[in-house]
Amino acid sequence: MTGIAQKLASNQKQVAISEFFEKNKHFLGFDSLARSLITAVKEAVDNALDACEEARILPTIRVVIEKIDVKKDIIKLIVEDNGPGIPQKSIEKVFGQLLFGSRFHAIRQSRGQQGIGITGVVMYCQLTTGRTTHVRSKISGEPTAAVVDIGLDTRKNKATKSNQGREIWYNEDGSAKEHGTEVTAQMKAKYQKGRQSVWQYLRMTSIVNPHAEITFTDPEGEVHHWPRVTERLPTKVEGIKPHPHGIELGQLQRMASESTDSRLTVFLRMNFSGVSARASKELCVAAEIDEKTKPKSMNADQIRALLEAFQGERHVKGKPVKLLNPPTNCLSPIEEMLIKKGLSKTIDSRFISTLTRAPAVTQGNPYQVEVGLIFGGNMAADKPVEVLRFANRVPLMYQQGGCLLTKAIESVDWRQYGLDQPGAKGVPKGPAAILVHLASTNVQFTSEAKEALADNGEVIEEARKAMLEMGRGLRKHLEKKKKMAKTKEKFELINDILPAIAEKSAHILGRPVPDLAGSITKIMSAVISETSTTWNKETKQTDVMITLFNYTSRVRAYTILATWPEKAGAEMINNETGGRKEATGVWAWKLPSLEPGERTVITYSLSGLERGDWTETDVFFRGSQDVIGASKMDEKFLEEIRRQERALSDPGDADSTPEEPAEPMGEPTVAPPTGQTTLFGGDV
Amino acid sequence: MTRRHTPEETKQAMHLIVGEMYDRIVKGEPPTMTLPVRTKNNIGFDKKLGVYKYGKKQSIRDATSLGSAKQLLRALHVVEFIEEMLVAGKSSTLREMYYISEAWGLGKFGSQNESNNLAEDLEIVTKCLREDFKLRPEEDGARMIGNLTLRERNRRGEWMRINARDDVGDSGYGVPYNVEAEKIELLEHDIDFIMAIETGGMFDRLIENGFDEEYRCGLLHLKGQPARSTRRIMKRMSEEWDLPVVVFLDGDPWSFRIFASIAYGAIKTAHISEYLATPSATYLGITADDIVAYDLPNDDLSKKDIEALNAELTDPRFADGWWQEQINMMLELGKKAEQQSLAKYGLDFVTETYLPEKLAELGLA
Repeated sequence: MTGIAQKLASNQKQVAISEFFEKNKHFLGFDSLARSLITAVKEAVDNALDACEEARILPTIRVVIEKIDVKKDIIKLIVEDNGPGIPQKSIEKVFGQLLFGSRFHAIRQSRGQQGIGITGVVMYCQLTTGRTTHVRSKISGEPTAAVVDIGLDTRKNKATKSNQGREIWYNEDGSAKEHGTEVTAQMKAKYQKGRQSVWQYLRMTSIVNPHAEITFTDPEGEVHHWPRVTERLPTKVEGIKPHPHGIELGQLQRMASESTDSRLTVFLRMNFSGVSARASKELCVAAEIDEKTKPKSMNADQIRALLEAFQGERHVKGKPVKLLNPPTNCLSPIEEMLIKKGLSKTIDSRFISTLTRAPAVTQGNPYQVEVGLIFGGNMAADKPVEVLRFANRVPLMYQQGGCLLTKAIESVDWRQYGLDQPGAKGVPKGPAAILVHLASTNVQFTSEAKEALADNGEVIEEARKAMLEMGRGLRKHLEKKKKMAKTKEKFELINDILPAIAEKSAHILGRPVPDLAGSITKIMSAVISETSTTWNKETKQTDVMITLFNYTSRVRAYTILATWPEKAGAEMINNETGGRKEATGVWAWKLPSLEPGERTVITYSLSGLERGDWTETDVFFRGSQDVIGASKMDEKFLEEIRRQERALSDPGDADSTPEEPAEPMGEPTVAPPTGQTTLFGGDV
Repeated sequence: MTRRHTPEETKQAMHLIVGEMYDRIVKGEPPTMTLPVRTKNNIGFDKKLGVYKYGKKQSIRDATSLGSAKQLLRALHVVEFIEEMLVAGKSSTLREMYYISEAWGLGKFGSQNESNNLAEDLEIVTKCLREDFKLRPEEDGARMIGNLTLRERNRRGEWMRINARDDVGDSGYGVPYNVEAEKIELLEHDIDFIMAIETGGMFDRLIENGFDEEYRCGLLHLKGQPARSTRRIMKRMSEEWDLPVVVFLDGDPWSFRIFASIAYGAIKTAHISEYLATPSATYLGITADDIVAYDLPNDDLSKKDIEALNAELTDPRFADGWWQEQINMMLELGKKAEQQSLAKYGLDFVTETYLPEKLAELGLA
């Protein structure tokens, strides 16, 4: 936002808005008639979602598109939300002023980083149809809604308002509207279908905003509805101060000149994240500036020196100044379970795997990668998989090829995970969709168009790792499916066919029906596990039952491991078999030896989940003989979970912590302290 | 040697199979059914019988996989069904049995091919014939024309005397599915040989040209791969009347196979080759030589044709020098030709030139 805002601010004085708009429409998102409509919807919907999030309201959004004049491509757009509403005197500011507020000092993950804002839409409507934009907004507690038509005086480059008034706002069902905002705009635009369409934008928005309810009426009158699948609002994000690693010279200059601090060390400690008392002093030493210097009085050379100290180019005692990583609680990931819900409400499938990586830091900016993979169902098997890219919950719909997120997908050899990918190059083919979400306080785009993320080795690697893990999940699922089919056949054989053979042959020969136990053992000649994960309506819990049959002629002993959604807040209860936690979301039971023909059953329930949250439990085993229906425990998988655990507890140190060998059936790990500590032992 | 069985013998033979399954279960093993391998790798020439029969290779179908277990269960249902028919004095077509299996629950057939194969399996293991099982095909037999007389027992149980030249229309005498002694008796003939013909078009051409009378032969339309009853009646005529059999087919790999099944025995029915095959039958044409010698209009061999020819090179039934030569020549030419390509030289060429020349080589004209 800042880049465009500044540009606008400096340009506004010299050129007419129309001229400016014309010149910059490609990065404002109004370069084609089809894209203009998507941009308009995007600005309005982003505003609605942001406003609801801020006010902690579950958003209900209605989008209507009507064709007014097909020949002249005039389209009417209505976007209505149930947000807090805008006080009458602020409407003009929100819709008519380009430089409204600054996000300069508050660095945080927000949708608004992208795009020009709703004012751009008002401008575009004015310029293409000469019409004003109608706004109706009501705040809770006021009896009536404020209405006003907002336009732009292109000669004076100023917002205009007309037909201002108040009215009672009725919902469609006749009831009075509590609060919300509705924008009605007419513009020159084209409605298109397909991968780059309003429909796709809203569909994608709905996937990453599972707490939102979105209804879209398209120009043909067809109503598309994406229901709300969770009542949980995204975590409220805290703004953080900039980190020295992520700052530019201009910004540092501005911060210094606006500072009222009396000492440089105080300025450093108070205005930046990751700077401890000790670090602030060391930075001064490195930059060769007296720590008592008033920030405002620093000259250009000093500021440059300070920046060099920030970036580790100036040393103290031969070393760059050690800085802490910025806190990562400023990020609001969607989280695995909710991505799963978002995906499954939108796309019909057989398998969903989602993954939220621990937050990490690149160039002083916290970021977090989330991925989702959805497989099977009605998706086309011979076409490239659908790529769903998001930055801070905003769908990216253009420039797929040039985007970091796409490159991360392409960097994986999907063939080993069961997807088609000729030459291990490009986006894989198959009945699947891959979702990648980057949450960050500072999303770097390839261009002002803000449709593709710029290359960053660390981020790519993080996304790649997430996808590898997800790919392993897919492979496991496919293998499991195969094995389950095989197991099912075997059970049909011994439960149905074999008894029928015994009965029929006995009947034909006029002899007694023989006992089947011996034949069954010979036929199965395996240990078989069966797992059921079912929602219990009465207890509102997910009941899991793992049964292990020994159909061999020998005694067998195993440790059985099972996954459960610990990260999503599930708690394991009624687990009478005991066992212990092996890693986050992995429980282990060492079972007593199982005699031939015997079975053992593990049962437990999961509380703290909703229906449909957890439908498939992965079961693993440790032991020398194969278990049909379970996978051999991949110790690397456990290591990766433990590595992520450590990363979560101390993101700054994730990679430098030596890998500890996985301890099978080790004692439950003690939860590490959650508070931030510095590398030097002090507090943040 | 395959022979007919009484209902009691048939039942006993079937109980041996059932007993194998039962005993294995009693021993605590998966039930099994043992039967010969039914591929070209397990057929060998039986010197005594003069035909190709299954060798000693056995395959054991055991109930360790769902598919095999279902096969065993189906076999039991079929055995039970046959026993019921034996008791009731009924018979059924293979297709009827396939539909009846709808009521067999887990033992029901997935396709008719499955039920046909299983009937053959049972024949092989029990050494009974499907006639013993009271099962009959719905495949229709061949058509015959020529001065030969036989007796057929009609639906009312009466014997009818039929001359296949004077008592039939243009379509000839239709060979029924059962050509055993209880149904058909060969009475007398005034012909010198029997000619089996692959296509209906050629059969009709020879009749229109009066070939059967001029050359004193019986004409038999095979309708492609000949049905069991067609092969059986050929064998009976050849043996009981001591008549030579010549086979006139298209010149392609599939015709070679038809001939092999007539003269040496088919792989699928190698258990009853001595009952169906006519070892004295001769391949008249179209040969690979003919394509060149008569400069016949031809088609390129398809990929499948070439595969079939290559498979024939390793088929023991084509192991003799003449066949190897023919097959290799066809592969070299890369061409095949139909019987009716002889029409290139006019409608009478086949009866006035080609067949007389070919028969002369055999001393039949």
